[in-house]
Amino acid sequence: MSTLDDHSKEIPEDTAGGATAAQSPEEKIKKQDNGPGGPIILFFILGLFASLIVGWIIFPKLLYSQKKQPIDFNHAFHVAEVENGCESCHFFRKDGTFSGAPKLEQCIDCHEEIQGVDPDEIKFVEEYVSKGREVPWLIYSKQPDCVFFSHAAHIKGADMECVACHGHIGESESLKVYEENRITGYSRDIWGKSIGGFKKNTWDRMKMDDCADCHQKNYAIIEKTGVKTPTKRFVDHMIEVVSPGSSISGKGTSVQTERDACFVCHK
Amino acid sequence: MKIGRRGFLSFVIGGAAGTALSPLPWKLTDDSSIWTQMWPWTPVPKDGETSYVNSVCTLCSGGCGITVRKIDERAVKIEGMKGHPINNGGACLLGLSGLQLLYGPTRIKSPLKRTGKRGQGGWEKISWKAAVSEVVEKLGNLRSKSQSHTVGFVSGSDRGTIPRLFERFLTAYGSPNLMRMPSVRDSYELTLHMMQGVQALPGFDFENADFILSLGSGIIDGWGSPVRMFRANSAWQNANVKVIQIEPRLSNTAAKSSKWIPINPGTETALVMGLAHVIIKEYLYDTGFILNYTNGFEDWKRLVMDNYSPDSVAAITGIDSGTIVVLARSFANASRPLAICGRGDGSSPVSLKGCTAVHALNALVGNVNKKGGVWAVSDTDYISWPEIEMDSKAAAGMQHERLDGAGSKKYLFSRYLMNRLPETVNSGAQYPLQALFVSGANPLYTLHDTKSTEKAFDKIPFVVSFSSYMDETAQNADLILPNHVFLERYEDVPAPVGLIQPVIGLAKPVVEPQFNTRHVGDVIIRMAKGLGGSVADAFPWDSYYSCLKETLNDNWETLVDKGFRSDTELMNPTLESSFDTVSGKFEFINPDTGSMPQFKPVSIEGDEKLYPLVLIPYDSIRLANSYIGDPPFAIKTVEDTVLKGKYVFVEINPKTARSAGLHEGQRVLLITPKGKAEVKIHLFEGIMPGIIALPRGLGHTAFDDYLAGKGINFNTLIGTVEDPDSGMDTAWGIRAKLSKV
Amino acid sequence: MKHNKAQKFGMVIDLDKCTGCGSCMVACMSENNVPFRKDESDKFLSITWMRVYRLTNGKPFPNTDICYLPRPCMQCAGQHEGHSPCVSVCPAIATDYSTETGIVSQIYTRCFGCRYCMASCPYHARYFNWWDPIWPDGMEKYLSPNVSPRMRGVVEKCSFCFHRYQLAKEKAFMEGRRNIEENEYQTACTQACPAGAVTFGDLNNPDHAVYNLVKPDHKHSGRPTNPHAFRLLERLGTNPKVYYLSSRKWVRQVGDNYLKNEAKVKKPVHHG
Repeated sequence: MSTLDDHSKEIPEDTAGGATAAQSPEEKIKKQDNGPGGPIILFFILGLFASLIVGWIIFPKLLYSQKKQPIDFNHAFHVAEVENGCESCHFFRKDGTFSGAPKLEQCIDCHEEIQGVDPDEIKFVEEYVSKGREVPWLIYSKQPDCVFFSHAAHIKGADMECVACHGHIGESESLKVYEENRITGYSRDIWGKSIGGFKKNTWDRMKMDDCADCHQKNYAIIEKTGVKTPTKRFVDHMIEVVSPGSSISGKGTSVQTERDACFVCHK
Repeated sequence: MKIGRRGFLSFVIGGAAGTALSPLPWKLTDDSSIWTQMWPWTPVPKDGETSYVNSVCTLCSGGCGITVRKIDERAVKIEGMKGHPINNGGACLLGLSGLQLLYGPTRIKSPLKRTGKRGQGGWEKISWKAAVSEVVEKLGNLRSKSQSHTVGFVSGSDRGTIPRLFERFLTAYGSPNLMRMPSVRDSYELTLHMMQGVQALPGFDFENADFILSLGSGIIDGWGSPVRMFRANSAWQNANVKVIQIEPRLSNTAAKSSKWIPINPGTETALVMGLAHVIIKEYLYDTGFILNYTNGFEDWKRLVMDNYSPDSVAAITGIDSGTIVVLARSFANASRPLAICGRGDGSSPVSLKGCTAVHALNALVGNVNKKGGVWAVSDTDYISWPEIEMDSKAAAGMQHERLDGAGSKKYLFSRYLMNRLPETVNSGAQYPLQALFVSGANPLYTLHDTKSTEKAFDKIPFVVSFSSYMDETAQNADLILPNHVFLERYEDVPAPVGLIQPVIGLAKPVVEPQFNTRHVGDVIIRMAKGLGGSVADAFPWDSYYSCLKETLNDNWETLVDKGFRSDTELMNPTLESSFDTVSGKFEFINPDTGSMPQFKPVSIEGDEKLYPLVLIPYDSIRLANSYIGDPPFAIKTVEDTVLKGKYVFVEINPKTARSAGLHEGQRVLLITPKGKAEVKIHLFEGIMPGIIALPRGLGHTAFDDYLAGKGINFNTLIGTVEDPDSGMDTAWGIRAKLSKV
Repeated sequence: MKHNKAQKFGMVIDLDKCTGCGSCMVACMSENNVPFRKDESDKFLSITWMRVYRLTNGKPFPNTDICYLPRPCMQCAGQHEGHSPCVSVCPAIATDYSTETGIVSQIYTRCFGCRYCMASCPYHARYFNWWDPIWPDGMEKYLSPNVSPRMRGVVEKCSFCFHRYQLAKEKAFMEGRRNIEENEYQTACTQACPAGAVTFGDLNNPDHAVYNLVKPDHKHSGRPTNPHAFRLLERLGTNPKVYYLSSRKWVRQVGDNYLKNEAKVKKPVHHG
């Protein structure tokens, strides 16, 4: 070992010596010219900006692959046509489960034959309806398998609006590009469009923390303000619905977290 | 400008700071943790709409109603059907794991034709057309050579439209050789025929009995319709019904009974005779019934009184005479006592003398065809098909005696003797069997004396299996024409044997056929059409579906909708009309044969000196022991004192083990006159000294890696013992020895 | 506004009726996407949320007796509610106790496989996934979407079929109700048991069958009035929500691991 060490020490010294002999005067001059702060800060700033650009702009481009929906869909148009808003197509089944994206079975009521001249509709009828194939929609709000989300609890139980989590997709005239996370395979809409994780609206992100935020807020409101009716009644109602038996003092049903117990949203 | 060391460092630090201020590390951490939490190779079950389909489970003959939960097109769970007269929501573990048999790796995915030598596993996929025409050609050739009688058919059952189609096919084709796999039902049917003159199924009114005497029947170990028996057992617990279990080993049934009375194996009939002795001696029998409805009682009484005093019975059975007397009294004094026989899960017949003795005991207390008693149930006959027009070839073929000897001079009243087939084929005493079709049965696994059965199969030039699974028999076939499994096909399911209520069930497709399989009913119809002439004329239907729908007629709608049809109105036969004998009465002694219920020991194979121990089988509901092999979920429930790795445990009393110098978990060689196997020792206090026991249902050599190669098949170790009165195989055990490895 | 009393789901298993048939084990496996392997005879590695144990009284022939004992997760409440042996040791908040239902949850994606909970569970009710689950050849078709399949390296256990509670609640919301009926939430093992030996429901609800089977006697620190009722290893103070009924004394004694020559037994502490 020692011989090796000795040997390895020798070589750098040699090269270092040689290099110094050839370059050191010039370098010294440069350093004196610019002073100690100049280029180093420049390099720092360069590194800083480069990595900020990488992190904020290039990274998200690399992280997400862009996928197009199999056919385009005009939500605004359909909402105007149907009577019952979102629930006309995204309905609850009798057993309380939520149907999610509609199946051919629902679309076929109107689209058995081609209705208009829209190329997407023509493609839909020709490629899917007449062949009996389901449209492989890419679901923006698809959650991991470990998540149990009850639409019935939120929509039917707590009288919430679809917009609260899904935003104004019902007013859109075409489907946006589906961005798939290359690592996890989930849609970008779960983390949110903002790569920094910032959100302005409740529907901007769909991570667990966002669920928790909303659930926690209700407890917090009561604790802080001792709100008066009717708000209090509403919040009371919410807590009661989401987790009966939990105390109004702001504590959830989880022994570990004092929030809502894990099984409420996990399976 | 050159980048120096410091510049570079500063660039890196700037980069680090910038990275930390960018979402990159945090987002990557989050994403990679999500990735590790949900490996892409862990399956994510697809969600969808839930629906339920009512059907009937046909994995055994229990006839339970099932409700299958589906998510879109996938079946995800089998549950017992609520409100079904047999199982009312309950289910056994085999039925519950049925989806593993539907989607499992052991299924045969298309018609297969053997390549290479038989049993070596070389198969080629062929089309249905080619497969059926090969069969038709073979059968056509035999028929043209007037050898139609050399074709045999083995079926798991003989009730319902499918077996009746087999029968119809064979009759129109010209062969008498339809064989049903053996069970204790054979003994009971013959007993009812001998004593009551009827061709009927045994029915047991367990739900209304208040004292059960079980001569080794594994009431909760798979005997009868298993879930019905579990429910009856719980009802007995609630109502404080006494259940007495007679057998040499503490089975689950024995453990759950009110009293377990260990008995020397094979001497159960002696005990029955001893009980009759006490009952007659103390005038505890139903004099009204005996006087008015029976014939031959005096002669039988003499036999009983002369030979079966409690003391002499005690010497045979090993049960002390006091216990016998007390048992006889409590049996006779109960208001609705019921005695049953058939060891373990009832898959083996008992001797005719034994079964008639048990029936005579029931008759003594007058509980024949009445509430809480034994019934002769005439099979609900909903199948009325046009008469078969046999051509001369068929008529000639039907003139031949059956190969298994059932209905011959020797065994005139026996209907099926599948157990005798291997021996007949091997000895070549009768005509050779040229072709054998097997459906819903796995004789190469379930018949005693596997070697002899294998030898017989080797002699049959053309073996066709209709199995959905690669079982032992399919593995040794020449052609496999895979049937749909029960969740993919229509089939009528008559009430299980033992039930009194007339229930018809309908199994119906829950999912689309998963593979290129075909309904065996359709294949039979195709075969008949292929043969043409009078054979084709006997099958006026274009598919099995239309045949079944037409047969069930008015019941069809109800059956499709509910899955079963049950008439609560019981046809309670009056005692006057119960007996179709010459005397019109219950016969203690059969007038034709003079055969009388009595104890004649069924001696088992092996020399006592060479083989000091007696090996008996035991059954467990967790180990499927018939045509169906245990699916992975079921085999998972098998305890580690039964199976460990590839070793099965032989149960032995610690006393016997001690004297042989054996200890728990030790590997030993188990040797019987029929074969040997390496097993492990399990010390069990609940088994009679001198007796050792092995479970049935293990030791498969076919199926898949989840079942094959675990333990040994009990049937490879035991031989057959032919009952001189019925021709049935009544072997209940075999002599054995253990030697250290 | 009237508040519901918190629910406390529990199970009563009648060992006199239990035949050891194993239906509960398989009903559980098929309900909960439990994986299986080619050799399951090493019971330390074999995952069975519900396991039927075979007890013997140890007496020689012919006085031997057998009793089967099905063992789901006991959903221990511990000395004070939520102080379950497993919940209190979990460093990852992967297992939790809900005061709403009294059910101990296990979140697989949260678990990192340290197996402290397994060490702390006196009932061996927790199992570790040593291997990736593999469903051979198309068998993944029967997997239920209501229970997520577990990955290698995490602990799993009986959840009292919690997904059935979730589904029952969804249905209730749909119908404008808040509470679910007794028959709307039953575990898979309860439903499948052909002997009717398993009863399931809310131990706090006098209308439920379980309540009446093990009705607490408040004069005797909440012990069930039924003299045949007992809980497993009651003296550890784990306060389980699974009760057993047996008319046989030796079974009740084995259930609490009594020592052979143990002197008079101290009354177990009971938390209701």
